This record gives sequence, C-alpha cells and structure tokens, in this order.
Amino acid sequence: MGEPEKTQEPVNTQVIKERLDAIKGARMKMWLEMCAHCGLCAESCFFYLAHDRDPAYMPSHKIISTLGQMYKKKGEVSREFLEQTREIVWGKCTVCRRCTMYCPFGIDMATMFAATRGICNTQGCHPENLQKAVENYWAEGNQMAMSKDDWIETCTWMESETGEEIVGLEIPMDKEGANVMYTVNAREPMFYPQDVGMAATIFHIAGEDWTMTSEGWDDTNLAMFAGDAKCMAHVTKLTYDAAIRLKAKQIAITE
Amino acid sequence: MYEFVRGPLLWFSFIVFIVGMVYKVAALISLSKKKDKVVYDHLNTGWALRSIFHWLLPLNRTVAQYPVYSIATYLFHILLLGVPIFLLAHNVLWYESWQISWWTLPEDVADYLSLLMLGLILFLMIRRMVAPYARIVTTAYDYLLLLVVALPFLTGYMAYHQWIDYKLMLILHILSGELMLILIPFTKLSHMLLFFLSRAHIGSEFGQRRGTVTW
Repeated sequence: MGEPEKTQEPVNTQVIKERLDAIKGARMKMWLEMCAHCGLCAESCFFYLAHDRDPAYMPSHKIISTLGQMYKKKGEVSREFLEQTREIVWGKCTVCRRCTMYCPFGIDMATMFAATRGICNTQGCHPENLQKAVENYWAEGNQMAMSKDDWIETCTWMESETGEEIVGLEIPMDKEGANVMYTVNAREPMFYPQDVGMAATIFHIAGEDWTMTSEGWDDTNLAMFAGDAKCMAHVTKLTYDAAIRLKAKQIAITE
Repeated sequence: MYEFVRGPLLWFSFIVFIVGMVYKVAALISLSKKKDKVVYDHLNTGWALRSIFHWLLPLNRTVAQYPVYSIATYLFHILLLGVPIFLLAHNVLWYESWQISWWTLPEDVADYLSLLMLGLILFLMIRRMVAPYARIVTTAYDYLLLLVVALPFLTGYMAYHQWIDYKLMLILHILSGELMLILIPFTKLSHMLLFFLSRAHIGSEFGQRRGTVTW
C-alpha cells in the first residue's frame, strides 16, 4: 500500500448515494439483509489469523463497519470515515474470497469489498500507487506507462540477445492467425527483460505458433484492485481487441 | 380471547407469513433480472443443488472448523421445526380442525426437547457475549430475534406444566408463535428461504464459472 493520499476535497455524497443505489441489486439487498452475524467467517481470514484473532479483522465486521455503515447513513459519510474505510478495504483485505467460501449463507463478501473499493475510488480515497497505475493504463495501455516503441524495442533486443544462444529464435510481433497470443506483466519488459527471452525460448523449443502483440500486451489489471471499473474494462478490452484483430486462437498470460 | 388468537389471528399470521415470503422472494428474483443479469450467465441447477445440499447437511469445512457451535445450531434448527410439528397437543388441534394428524413425540420426550431448545438458545446468547468474533458483530437485534424464537418454547413449556395460569399461558404461547410467523418475512428470520437463493447463486458462481466448490 502506498502513501495515503491526503485529499482535502469535500466528500461528494451525491456520487456515493448514486453508487450505493446502483450496486444495490437483488444480491446486495439479500446479503445485507440476511447476514445472521454468526461470526463463522472469522477463521477463513488470514488477516484475522495473522493478527492473533483480533476481531477487528473479522470479514463480516469489516463489511458491516464500512459498506454497511454507508448504507445505514445513506451515503452521508465524512472524509475521515472514507479514510478509515480505505484502511480496511485495502489494508485489511485482499479480496481473496475465502470468507465467501466459509459463509454458511454463501454471502459474497469479496464482491462487497470490491464494491466498497469502487465507492472509495470515486472520492479519490484509494492507494496512490494504484492510482498511478490507472493513469498509466489510460496513457499507454500498461501499468508501467511503457511506450509502444519501447515495448517493441525490448522484444527486438531480446530476440537478438536470446537468438545468440538459440539459433533461429524469433519473437514475432503482431503476426496474424497465430495459435497463441502471449501477454506479459508490464514489469517484465521494464525490469526483467530476460523474462521475455525466456518465454520466447519456451515457445521456440515447443515449436509453438505464437505472437506478441504491440497493443494490449500487459495482462495485469491493477485497475481492478483500485476499484476502477471503467479502467478495468478498458485494460481487458485492449487485450481482447488485440486477439480479435490478430485472429489469435488463444491468449496466454505470463506466470 | 382464546377463540380469537386461535382463529382469526392465526389465519392472519399464516397469511402474512406466506404472502410475505412469496412476495419477498418474487421481488428479489424480479429485481435480479434487472440489476443482477450476470447471475444468469452462470446459474446452473446442478451446482445450485449441490451447494444447497452440502450446507443443509453438515458437509462443509466451516462445520468441521466449529464443531460445538455446529452441533448446537443443527440441533436448534431441527428442534425449531421438529418439536412443534410432532407435538401431540398440536396434532390434537389440527385433528379437531381438519381430521388430520401424524406420528407424534412421546409427551415427556417433547418436554425434555423443549428444555433442550431453551438451553440451546441460552448457549447461543452466551456465545454472542463471550466469543470476541461473534460479539463484535452482535447487536441488540440478534438477541431480540433469539428471544422471539425462545418465547413459544418457554410459554409452551409453562402451559404444559400449568404454571402460573394455564389459560393465560396458552394464549401467550399462541401469540408468541404468531409473532414469530409474522416477523419471518420482515427480519433476518427470512433466511429460512433466502438461504436457498443465496446458496444457489454462490454454488453456481463458484462451480459453473470457476469450477470450484464452496464447501
């Protein structure tokens, strides 16, 4: 989690109200209403276990004291409340969904946490590092804001460097009709370009018909973690559009 | 008074309970078709039934994690439904009204089971005060609901033993039963039906969408 961003802007409760209303479908309504406060989700949470079973880390409590309060107060919440909510939904939850699996009613707490992140996001109340990534996605289509030229150059460089060891190795770029379109984590070309060469080695030795893509090549989606649904869709769409344009049969993602 | 609570008020309670629950479920399903369309992409009867089956019966990891609480709550739910349905005195009543009746519990067994039920409710209340992870999410409302469920058993027990005033206890017993029925659609007690909707959804979500189980 990055340095908390100290936004002093007044809370736009109208936007929060609209968002609360928009996400209140049949499931949300049912979940909010039916939780029996049994506490059986406690043991599912590794935050709870790692903090000597401190009840403050109980999944249902974390929801009730954040999203539950927002509904109770009909969106009329303070900046201070949102800051506390941010600490909980990003700092005390990874949205791993284990609590969902342990709930006798099958209440999808993870979906509720994700929705709460989305609400915090509308008020600029989310981790700064994630915001930076979101800006980068909008700018260059990847979390590192790596330019298209730099990406293509990295692939070309790795092709020649790895090609010195493995004769005939190629890193195809935007090849149409390949069996596999390979996508990477943007950190790889940025900090560990050898990873790109290693993946190419595997494809080459396996004799796979594959290609890299010059657009939509980053398969991470930090916008999802930031609770920014619009950017999340944008990132996913870039990759799918690339696969459709290149007529690739499958999309492979990096480990 | 007895005639009124046993007659019109009983009809009223059952109508509120049944119409209330039907309306509630219908309203949720209709809302889901507008705002939860994504549910229907993955809704799958097989996964839904398996999910319900594993949680209706103690065939899941949560039960294994909390053995004492699980035994208490399973017993609680079984007695809550079983004792009133198989009670001799109740069977006599509906035989008088509709000439129907079925197997009944021996009276002394039913008596002990009612005491056990009250003991279980006391246990659930104390647990809410003692276990930190339950206490933090517990509100006065949770105790009130347990009380609503306890009242018919308490007054029934007192009426059977003719404590204080039999006629009064009997009326209070019927009233408290009616109160519970009326409250079901409007409180967390509605989980008696919502449980099935919620489990059907999450079973499909995990099973059909991701190929994994929730138990």
